[in-house]
Amino acid sequence: MNKIMVIAEHRLGELTAATFEVIAAAVGLKRTKGFSVNVAVLASNPAEFSAKLNIAGVDEIIEIQIQENQFQTDTYEAIINSLLDEYEPSVVLTSNSIDAWSCMPIIAAKRQCGFATDVFALNYDGDDLIATRAAYGEKMHVDLEFPGKETVLITLRGNTYKPIEQEASVPVSSFSAPSVNARTTHKRFIEPETTSDVDIAQAELLLSIGRGIENEDNIEQFEELADTMGFTLGCSRPIADNGWLPKSRQVGQSGKIVVACNTYLAFGISGSVQHMAGMKHVPNIIAVNTDAEASIFTIAKYGVVADMFEIADELINHFE
Amino acid sequence: MKILVPVKQVAIIDEDCEIRDDGKNVDVDFLDYEINEWDNYSWELALNLQETYGEDVEIVPLTVGPDEADDVLLNCLAKGGERGIRVWDDALVDSDSFAIAQVIAKVAEHENADYVLTGTLSSDYSFAATGMCVAGLLNWAHAAVVSKVDITPDAQQITVNRELEAGIEEEITVESPAVLSIQLGINEPRYASLRGIKQAKAKPIEVMSHKDFGLTDAEVGEIGSLSKVRKMYAPELSQAELIEGTVAEQAKRIAEIVKELKGGA
Amino acid sequence: MINPEHDAQVVTRIVQQDFPLWMSVTFYLAAFVSTAIFFYGCYIQVRKYKRGQPFSLTHIKKGIVDMIKDLLSHRTLRRRDHSAGLMHALIFFSFVLLFIGTVTITLDYDILRPITGRMIFWYGEFYLWFSFVLDIAGLAFAIGLLYMMYRRKWMALPKLNYARSDRTQEEPDYDRSWYRFEDWLFLWNLVIIMITGYVLEADRLVWLQDDPTVWDYRWWSPVGTLFAEAMKSMYLTSEGAESFRYFLWWFHALTAFLFVSLLPFTKAKHIFTALVSLVVRNRRSPARLPITDATAESIGIRSITDFNWKQLLHTDACTKCGRCHEACPANASGFPLSPRDMILSLRELSNNTLQKIKIPEAPLLNVVGDGVNQIRPETLWSCRTCGACQEICPVGIEHVPMMVDIRRALIEEGEMDPAVQTALQNLQKKGNSIGENKRKRAAWTKKLDFDIKDARKEPVDLLWFVGDYASLDPRYQKVCQSFARILRTSGVDFGILFESEMSAGNDVRRVGEEGLFEYLAENNIETLADCDFNRIVTTDPHSFNTLKNEYSELGGNYDVLHATQLVRQMLTDSQIPLARTLSKRVTYHDSCHLGRLNKEYDAPREVLGSIGVEIVEMPRNRDNAFCCGAGGGRIWTPDPIEIEKPSEIRMKEAASIEGIEAFVVNCPKCMNMFEDAVKSTGSDDKLKVIEIIELVENCLVDEVQPL
Repeated sequence: MNKIMVIAEHRLGELTAATFEVIAAAVGLKRTKGFSVNVAVLASNPAEFSAKLNIAGVDEIIEIQIQENQFQTDTYEAIINSLLDEYEPSVVLTSNSIDAWSCMPIIAAKRQCGFATDVFALNYDGDDLIATRAAYGEKMHVDLEFPGKETVLITLRGNTYKPIEQEASVPVSSFSAPSVNARTTHKRFIEPETTSDVDIAQAELLLSIGRGIENEDNIEQFEELADTMGFTLGCSRPIADNGWLPKSRQVGQSGKIVVACNTYLAFGISGSVQHMAGMKHVPNIIAVNTDAEASIFTIAKYGVVADMFEIADELINHFE
Repeated sequence: MKILVPVKQVAIIDEDCEIRDDGKNVDVDFLDYEINEWDNYSWELALNLQETYGEDVEIVPLTVGPDEADDVLLNCLAKGGERGIRVWDDALVDSDSFAIAQVIAKVAEHENADYVLTGTLSSDYSFAATGMCVAGLLNWAHAAVVSKVDITPDAQQITVNRELEAGIEEEITVESPAVLSIQLGINEPRYASLRGIKQAKAKPIEVMSHKDFGLTDAEVGEIGSLSKVRKMYAPELSQAELIEGTVAEQAKRIAEIVKELKGGA
Repeated sequence: MINPEHDAQVVTRIVQQDFPLWMSVTFYLAAFVSTAIFFYGCYIQVRKYKRGQPFSLTHIKKGIVDMIKDLLSHRTLRRRDHSAGLMHALIFFSFVLLFIGTVTITLDYDILRPITGRMIFWYGEFYLWFSFVLDIAGLAFAIGLLYMMYRRKWMALPKLNYARSDRTQEEPDYDRSWYRFEDWLFLWNLVIIMITGYVLEADRLVWLQDDPTVWDYRWWSPVGTLFAEAMKSMYLTSEGAESFRYFLWWFHALTAFLFVSLLPFTKAKHIFTALVSLVVRNRRSPARLPITDATAESIGIRSITDFNWKQLLHTDACTKCGRCHEACPANASGFPLSPRDMILSLRELSNNTLQKIKIPEAPLLNVVGDGVNQIRPETLWSCRTCGACQEICPVGIEHVPMMVDIRRALIEEGEMDPAVQTALQNLQKKGNSIGENKRKRAAWTKKLDFDIKDARKEPVDLLWFVGDYASLDPRYQKVCQSFARILRTSGVDFGILFESEMSAGNDVRRVGEEGLFEYLAENNIETLADCDFNRIVTTDPHSFNTLKNEYSELGGNYDVLHATQLVRQMLTDSQIPLARTLSKRVTYHDSCHLGRLNKEYDAPREVLGSIGVEIVEMPRNRDNAFCCGAGGGRIWTPDPIEIEKPSEIRMKEAASIEGIEAFVVNCPKCMNMFEDAVKSTGSDDKLKVIEIIELVENCLVDEVQPL
């Protein structure tokens, strides 16, 4: 039996959206009847989460009870290690999350199993698993293979797989966690300062500014433009890092994934991987940038190669 | 307290580049090199600790790369530190994060380091795993994507913040020795003047081979990696529909599109 | 003119007439003490300069000749302030005359007479003419001084306003009352010497009115005689005059001695420091900045003793005239920089530390800091290196290289605006400040319908060094395309360096990153060494400046032209096929690096004239042109939004001219700044920003093309 093990992830009491995408990927990987998808959930009360994992295509939910609910790296490493010893899956999937970055490389390094991160396509070529990821900042794609590796650990890129809607009744089993020497201790979570009441992840219309803004003083013009057009203002990482806009406005992997967005107007954003991770799913992306080669044009629906300030000057006149 | 800071010379490519004959990577002729942006931050962190605690702290930059990689060490040494280490051997070509981590872990042991600070990821491959693989090999406590750090020499445990998704941060304590992968924005990396870089050439850079640390060829390179490249290729890129014309015309068209979308939404 | 009855020998003034011996002795003692104090003061000053770094003078003969020319013509003072220049000339020349007079008397009376037993020349006709000339000189002196008093008190000139832009009112060194006191003390001291001199002279005449050898010739001292007649009309008798005489005599002598003793300690020292400053001034500065040993242990100025003696002398030459303060574009925009205040702070720091017997400890010598008389980093970073300060300084102070030298230390310490750091990092990595990939440098050539020769591969006659902003700024790329078409149409054999060209480094040097400047220059020189060409041309004045003036010290010797110089030559030789001329009325902006720094004001004007364009000059033009604000690294640094930027001030100056349709520039950075300014000042309905090359290209084609 070829087992595909999924490590479910949760934070602050909720399963992450990415977990469901990973499950969909896992299910999609089942090429023959000989495959199973086994989803492991580590939590202080795993049953709470199992209830939500009854998805068509999943063959088993493995509940592992741990003391603290939030992620602790040594705990996950020890438990996943035991799971791998027990289940011997051929593929282990989780999302390309910050938590996964902490624990998966450790497991891979200790077991010396196959390992790749930020993968956005998984396929079998005969019996060989081929994982596709990017290189050189999205300019190239690479197909990776894992000859001679019985188990392959993969973290999947978010916003790539569509979660499965259909439900099913999935058998649950429990797995006892080994003892863990936890060398890190959680103290607290720090929520970002929301100086504004706006949650950009809820906004349908977003106007986002990037490095092209050059200068904090130029932001006002775009605040006004967004306001006049009825759009919510967002930004890319450098703007938030400089403190020019609050972190709550940042779109991207370490900012917000703008799930509700339907129209994204990007000014002076070149389109780093991390930024695009937050918005590439948006159906209508209009990008304005002086650089015709900017990556954002590869995901945008409409592109304007022009000076963002000049466009903004003109654009506002259409929306008074 | 000794801090080992692995830094990487990353490659950047242009639009019109060619894949090398074996199809696994871009042809060397089309590669330009620079220091990995994240490593500026981890090195700056090390410099700050060195400046705060003075003689109690030794910071050493390390790179795994061929002769050209000396540039990144010089860039670091221009800002501070007394010596650097470069490890290279032809067998190290096409190493993945794990294979590189093998080398780094050995150097960390050899140097009796107390902390290893890496960048969260490198801009060419964005694997985001080298630092943590080192932690796995050394079996040290670790934290990834660190946005704030409080280290004192001789501390048994340190406090760090991890930068999580959606702008949330988590404060945790980590036992030492530890491996930390450092995120952008934790500090403001200082400028390395050309003069500083020239003067850094006087600082010693020890060049070693993986064999000097007891690693065999089979443990590194493509053979020792946890993944192998089958093929690298330029993806079919979808292109946006370009709106042409004068600025006024372009803005008008954007406005039309937006109004359509709003009206329909 | 001498009455034949009088013995000419007797027609003279008896010095210290009727003085008892003790009084004469006291006088000479006082003179000795006063002179001793004077020399001691000089010693203190010279010791202060020697506490700086050594500096070897070159071209000292030329320096002296230039200084003499400056002095005799007073050209440096007359520029842009005719009346002050004229009045200072009055003061200066009359002072010189009066001084020569005193020396003459001393020579004959105190030296030759004791030796020979008689007066050799100071009597008779010579004496009468001497008296006349000096009396008029004294009058001229007084007129000059009185004008200066009027100017200072009643004309309320902005340049004489000592309010500081780099300090707030609460700070201790904001207060300049000592300077004002010193200014008035200086003027009053001299005025009192003059007045007492005339009164004394008049008193002598009244006293000796019964001596015909004196009284008959009194009108040879016309001013003194007027005073004497007035005194007589107030019933002053000979006896009365005699009784006042000693008092007046000593009062006059003591005020004069006061002046002499205090000279090295006060504003009066500019008599010497200004002269020497004008001798040692480097006329190639700031077009060419001094090279430094980039391999030295440390570079740049940290401590006041890091300055060399020439620079310390410069700070002492300043007379607080305020011309630099008025000319500075950063100051005009409200930045915390005044070149005057920077020099004065350095002077105060130098006086407070290096005039002491023992030089204080290191931290007190630091030039940069928040303390009293220290320079703040934001002051230094506000500078545009436009050279307006240095250019107008009447005493030859070199503000720009001193400022750049301090910047060098800041750069080494990593103290700079983050935007500057990014630009420097881009330059290190990619050879341009914008951060664009090297391969994109020649992307602008793709829009042309012909190929440009690769100067790296083929020999060319003219090598076109394009420059960063010219290559990569979208607006200016159009100018490059225009220039390419002009050259092509005119049959010029030209080529470019494509992606092997790196930034020429002009602004990198001016920001203070000397190591990076050398790196860029050495790279360019190496690339050029492999090329085969006769001349270099560039449309970019910054590249022009450094290629022409600074590359030679690193081994790159080229014949460099600015595009306007080349075009002028080509137009004169009828090499450019003009299909038409334009009839436009425009104003023309002299860029700092082509204009003021390299004195090229005429080539662009002649070019415009040849194509039928009429120039209406802005009030500030040529050497007085007002900088666009982009130099010194400021193009990389955003300006605070609330201030009125230099480019906006300049644009408003242009917009106030009636009947012009364009603002013509000759520089990519100026174009960049003014394209923004024309919009932000709301002048874009009136003026278009056009490059001179674009106007020339417009004449190449027959169809009317809208610009």
